[in-house]
Formats: sequence, structure tokens, C-alpha cells
Amino acid sequence: MFIGVTGYNHESSAALVDKNGVLVDFYREESLSRIKGDKSFPKRSIKKLLDTNNLKIKDIERVAFYERPLSAFLHIVKEASLHMPKSLKLLTHQFRNFNRSSVSCYLDFAKFFKGLENKLIYSDHHLSHTLTTLAYSKTKKDLCSVVVDGFGDRSTASISQIVDPTEINELWECPYPLSLGLFYSAITDYLGFAINEGEYKVMGLASFGDSNSKSAKLVRRLMNWDSTSNQITSDMRYFDYHLSTSNSYSSKLEDLLGPARNPFVQLIPGDSDFQRFANIARGAQDLTVYLLGKIFTHAHKITSSRRFLFSGGVAMNSASIDTLAQLPFVDEIIIPPSPGDAGCAIGAAYYCYIKSSYYSDLNISKPTLFPSLKEIRNEEYLTEQIIFNEFSVLERNEDDAFLKAAELISSGEVIGTVLSNSETGPRALGNRSLICDGKNKDAVENLNTVIKNRSPFRPTAPAMRYETAKKYYKLRIEIHDCYKSMSSTCKCLKDNVSLEFPTTHVDGTARIQIVENNSSLDKLFSKLEPLGIEILANSSLNVSGDPICFDLVDGLMVCSRTKLRYLLTDLGLLKRKN
Amino acid sequence: MKKTKSELPIFYETAHAELASALEMLAACKGTNSQNQALGYFMHAKDEYNHARFFFNMLSKRGNLASTEIARDFRFTPPSLLTKGYISNKGFLIDTMKLKDFIAFVYTNELLAKSSFENILNLVGCSTEEGKIISSIMKEELRHHGMAKKHFLSHYPALQPWQLMIYRTRETINNKGRKIYDANLKLLDQLLTPLYRAMAFLAGTIAKKLNLNEFRRKGKNLMNISSFSIL
Ligand SMILES: [Fe+2]
Ligand SMILES: [Fe+2]
Ligand SMILES: [Fe+2]
Repeated sequence: MFIGVTGYNHESSAALVDKNGVLVDFYREESLSRIKGDKSFPKRSIKKLLDTNNLKIKDIERVAFYERPLSAFLHIVKEASLHMPKSLKLLTHQFRNFNRSSVSCYLDFAKFFKGLENKLIYSDHHLSHTLTTLAYSKTKKDLCSVVVDGFGDRSTASISQIVDPTEINELWECPYPLSLGLFYSAITDYLGFAINEGEYKVMGLASFGDSNSKSAKLVRRLMNWDSTSNQITSDMRYFDYHLSTSNSYSSKLEDLLGPARNPFVQLIPGDSDFQRFANIARGAQDLTVYLLGKIFTHAHKITSSRRFLFSGGVAMNSASIDTLAQLPFVDEIIIPPSPGDAGCAIGAAYYCYIKSSYYSDLNISKPTLFPSLKEIRNEEYLTEQIIFNEFSVLERNEDDAFLKAAELISSGEVIGTVLSNSETGPRALGNRSLICDGKNKDAVENLNTVIKNRSPFRPTAPAMRYETAKKYYKLRIEIHDCYKSMSSTCKCLKDNVSLEFPTTHVDGTARIQIVENNSSLDKLFSKLEPLGIEILANSSLNVSGDPICFDLVDGLMVCSRTKLRYLLTDLGLLKRKN
Repeated sequence: MKKTKSELPIFYETAHAELASALEMLAACKGTNSQNQALGYFMHAKDEYNHARFFFNMLSKRGNLASTEIARDFRFTPPSLLTKGYISNKGFLIDTMKLKDFIAFVYTNELLAKSSFENILNLVGCSTEEGKIISSIMKEELRHHGMAKKHFLSHYPALQPWQLMIYRTRETINNKGRKIYDANLKLLDQLLTPLYRAMAFLAGTIAKKLNLNEFRRKGKNLMNISSFSIL
């Protein structure tokens, strides 16, 4: 058995791969600690991997950490040292927290899982991203991997050629501190949203902006592509992320774009500053699409590949994928369901597997979208009193429960789901979702505002079967798999009724999910379609600010804390009392 | 404006503390073997989540009035529950404490929470809308305290109420000790900052000369690089 681990700098997680190259189990630390964006050493995740799969330390051949800790540390220090004394605070912080950085992962293993520290190896950060994505690709040979994130352990973007899983040659890199990911985060910060969390909001906000506005053009000029050196260029005077622990942008950016947004002031379409901020978001989005296009073009030029793996935090920018898919040299783009750092645990585990000599025939199976195993402890036993006191069970039998849920949805109700295993990535794909009739405006509005308290400029995503999607949206074969994990938006067909759906964004796009055969939502659709419902609005099951629900207790808690009344679970359909 | 500035940290920290209690109770709910206790912890967690929500709303109101520069410092990001020590890096209390100590901890801390809310109540005024909410939260904390006490005595009948008093005194002293320790640490930090900076300056001067180009990956097979190197 092989374990891959991420943590310290970004969200932590742990993955388990077996000797046959199958991803057996995967947890994000935030799912278990309930602290969104938890980046501490993933002790809960590793413990759960071991417990749930009945493993002892001796059963683990190798553990891989997803990056080279000292490299990450030194690159940041080296860059900051060039800007003393301005960067002195950052440097002091780096040195003082040395023992809390990933450099201490060896010690943490020794402390929490005695014996595992001796089995520890290290992968490259971008290699971990690449291997994660490779796992989700059907073909494992002759591919090109594009990784674009904030900062890995030595670069902020890279292109490598995959000959086969044992030969992955890096051909291009973007050196720190030039970084498309950190640029996007700085704009996120400027717009008053939390870094690593608010990027989605910037993407949503951008749809309200105008590319030809002054603000958008100013942002658009902050970075560029130099076609002689084939490198990203950036005017670093506007950014402080490489010099400071607290500021990602400099005062010069405020001089350029006007004052930053107070994070506590609501941003509502029509308000005075709304358009300026939307235009800024638009500029950031335009620049991202432009630079990604340049990187992919360069990737094609140096690898001649037409099949691409795409990962890193920037690959979560689902609004840019549709444009990339239209590049003339692209036959396929694969994005893993968890393209950010949390997903790297999967790649790190595969790194152990490939590096080991335990296989006779190297085989990396494509992981499922729902790899996190269920509680070994009996959830039914644990929640019996909670359910008895606070809920009534409407239907126990699975088939009846699904049918009843479908009837409730068709009558305009919102339903929460806690079904089977949990999703890999940051997006709920039906097993931990809040769903309602995707064409019913009132129901979607109720889901968005009454239950979810989502920003008014972020649309809810629609989920449907492939046959339905074809009727309404311009699908692209190159990114077919992306639709299954909500990794790409698509345009509504011209003059199509879908333009009026409440799940369609102001710019006529939707971040659709095509449900996989035999998934929970697929089962639900077989009850829904006879009732005339072919599209569900699908949002993650959580209170805003919290991680997505992981187990049944979390689901019951969301029901108790919000106006959500129904929960479809493995124990049946529950209704909250009072 | 000045009032807002002084209130912001209070609501910011209290919201942290309440959310941390919610997570502790949720963890206790998932960790217990008793169905009744699971229900008890579940309801307790729900209350604490509600308390946290109220304090986040109050924080938000004040943040709204503050300048962007100040408001930015009070934007909540969940991982700060860990970095600020509201949740221990070692794990949740239920996982790291003996059950008896855990219940005693809840018992005393609910009471301490209640008394810290008294100060906040004075700040916002009893008769204001916020004051009323805080009063109701205080009642709930008292109820939690009572529940923990009942639970403690029914599970450890050999223990007498006066023994709980000892727990309480101990926890109060610990709490005070923590505050003094915190204050000392802050003072020490202030004294040492110039030293740290000087060291960072020195290290930075050395780091400037570092050549990291050697560790570039361009043109290399990433699968062939030693898997034992941390650089
Ligand atoms: Fe990354
Ligand atoms: Fe409380
Ligand atoms: Fe309480």
C-alpha cells in the first residue's frame, strides 16, 4: 500500500493507492476537521486511511510528500532576500516558522505515526499535480501536462512531456515570483474575497464586467506574454505577495485601480462600486484566458502534443476551459476533479507506486469521482437518537426514498443529499449536494438565498444527463470528461430556452455537470424524468464558510442550522421536525 | 469609529471561540459511543454554531463601518482557528483528553464563557437588539454548564460537587495562567523582534547569494530525480 500526503502550504489531504495501482481511499483534512482550507499536517486523514482500510504502519510500503519542502522554503527566502529591507517581515516570519513549515513533515510523521517517517520520500510539486491528472486520463502515454498554480516548490507553472509514467520530462517553467495563480489571488484579495476561497467569486463577478472598460484594460496590462523568450512577464511593482505576509498587492495597485473593497461590505449588482469591481474581475479573467492560451500554444509547440493534462489551482478557473478547448491543436484536455493542491495527494501516492518495484505490469486505474470511503463505524447507530428526536423518516427503502425525493423536488422543494461515498474535489457532484428543480426559478432562488446565502452574482450549477445537455448547451468533445466533474463552463445554444434557465449566468454560460451513469444523481433522474424534470440545480451541501459535509452527522447539522427540511440519505429520506 | 476599532477584535476573537466550541462539540458527537451523548453533543454543537453566527454578524456590522484597511485585518479565515490556538494542533479535546477531564473542561468553560459575555453585554448595552441576543446566549451557556454538571455527576457519582469546584478553580487558574503566559509571550516577542529581524537580515544577506538554478528541472526526467532529496 502507498500513501500520498499534502499539507502545510495549501489544503492538506491523504490518499491511498494499492499494489494494483488503484486509488483505494482519499480524504481532505478539512472534511474531517471541519475547518475549511485546513492545511495542517493531515493526521486525521492518514489515521482514517489506516483505520478504515484496516492497515497497520507495517502494511505501508512508502509514503510520499507531494513536494520538496526545502526547495519551497528556499525559493521564497531567496526572492524575499533580494528586496530587503521591505521584505524583512516576511523573512522573519519564514525563519521563525521554519519548524511549522513543510520542512517539519518528517518530524510530524515521527510524532503522529511512528515508523512512517522512515518510509517517507518526496515528489516534485508539479510532478504530483501531473501524476494526479494522469490517473484520470484513459491514455497514459504521449501526453503533455500543463500545470499552472500559485507557487509549487520551484516554479509557478510548467509544461512537461509524458512519454510514459516513468518518463516525464519537464520542458518549460515559469519562475517564481512571476505567477498567474498569485496574480489571480491578489486580485481576489483586492476585491475583498478570501484568497484560496474567493477565486470562484471573482470568476462569477467577471461575467458582469465589460472587457472594454477602463478598469478591465488596466488589469489586462498587469501581465503579458513575451513571445521571444516564451515567458510570462509581470509588472511586479503592483504586487507584494513575494514581499509580505499580509499584503498580496501593493498600494500602487490601489493607485491604479482605485481603493480596494472592504470585505464586509455587501457586493450587490446595481450598487455604486459594483461595476468597477466587476470590470476589474473581468480584466483578471480576460488576462487569465489570454495567458493560458499562450501557455497551451507554447506547450503544443514544444511537445507537438494534442492531448493535454491540465492541473494546478488555475485549472479550477472553469470559465477559461471552454476557450482552451477551441484552440485548433487541442484534441483533449483532462482536468482532475481536484486540480488544486489537495488533489496532489493522489499523484504523490501514485509516485510511490510507480517508484516501487512491486508491480510486474504498471497499471494506473482511473479513480472514481467518489473515492472517500464511508465510516466504518455504524452511522446508523450513532445518529439514531439524533434522528429520532429531530427528524422523521419519511421513507426507509432506497427506491421509495428516491421516488419521494423526486416528488418533493417536482413540487419545488430543496433537498440535501448525503449518499454513499464522498466526492474527491471541491465540487459537490450529487453525493453531498443541495438540489432542486433547475428550471424552477423560485426553488433555485430559495436554494441560493434562503438556504445557502450565496453571493447574488454567483449562479448555481445545473446537473443533468448527457442527452439533456446536448439539447441545451454547446458541448465540446475535447473536454467531455470535464463536464462530469463540473470543471468547465459551456455556452447555451444560440436562441435556446436554456438562456432563460435560473442556472444560466448573465453571460449565457452555465457550469454544467453531466451525471455519470449509475451515480446517485443518475438514479434520481430515473425517478425525476418521468415527472418532467430533466435538470437539477446543484450546490454543495454546507453552510457558507464551512467545508462540504462529509458524513451523515454533518448533513443533519446543516439541516438543523438552516431552513433545509429534507435530507436524502442511505438511511432513507429524512424530514426535519418543526 | 474609535469604538468600532476597539470592538472589532472582541467580536473577532469571540466568534473564533464560539466556532471552535461548535467544532469541539461536533467532534465529541462523532467520537462518542453513546447514542444519548451523541444527541447531547449534537444539540450543544448546534447552539455553539448559532452563537458563532451571531458574533460573526456583529463583527460584520462593525467591519462594515471600519476603513477597508482595518476591516481587512478582521476578515475571518477558518485556518486561523488553528494558528490562533482555538483548536489545538494536536487534535480535538475529545481525542486528546480523558472523557472525565473533557466534561469537566466543558463544565468550567461554559461558565467562563458566560462571564466573558457579561463584559461584551456591557459594551453593547443590555437593552439593544444585540444585547438581547447576547443575554439569550448567556442563558444557553448556563444551560450547557448545567448539563455538563448533571452529566458529570451522573457518570461519576463518587465525585462530589465540591470536587467539581476544584476542577473549576483549576481551570480558572489555568485560564488566568494562559492569559499571563500569553501576555508574557507577547512582551517577549516585542523584545525579541529586533533580534529576529537582525537574524533574518543576516540570513537574507546569505540567501541572496544562493544559487537555486542548479535545482532547475528543465530538460530533466522528473521521475529520475532522487526521491529522498528535500531540495
Ligand atoms: Fe500546486
Ligand atoms: Fe457558546
Ligand atoms: Fe456553550
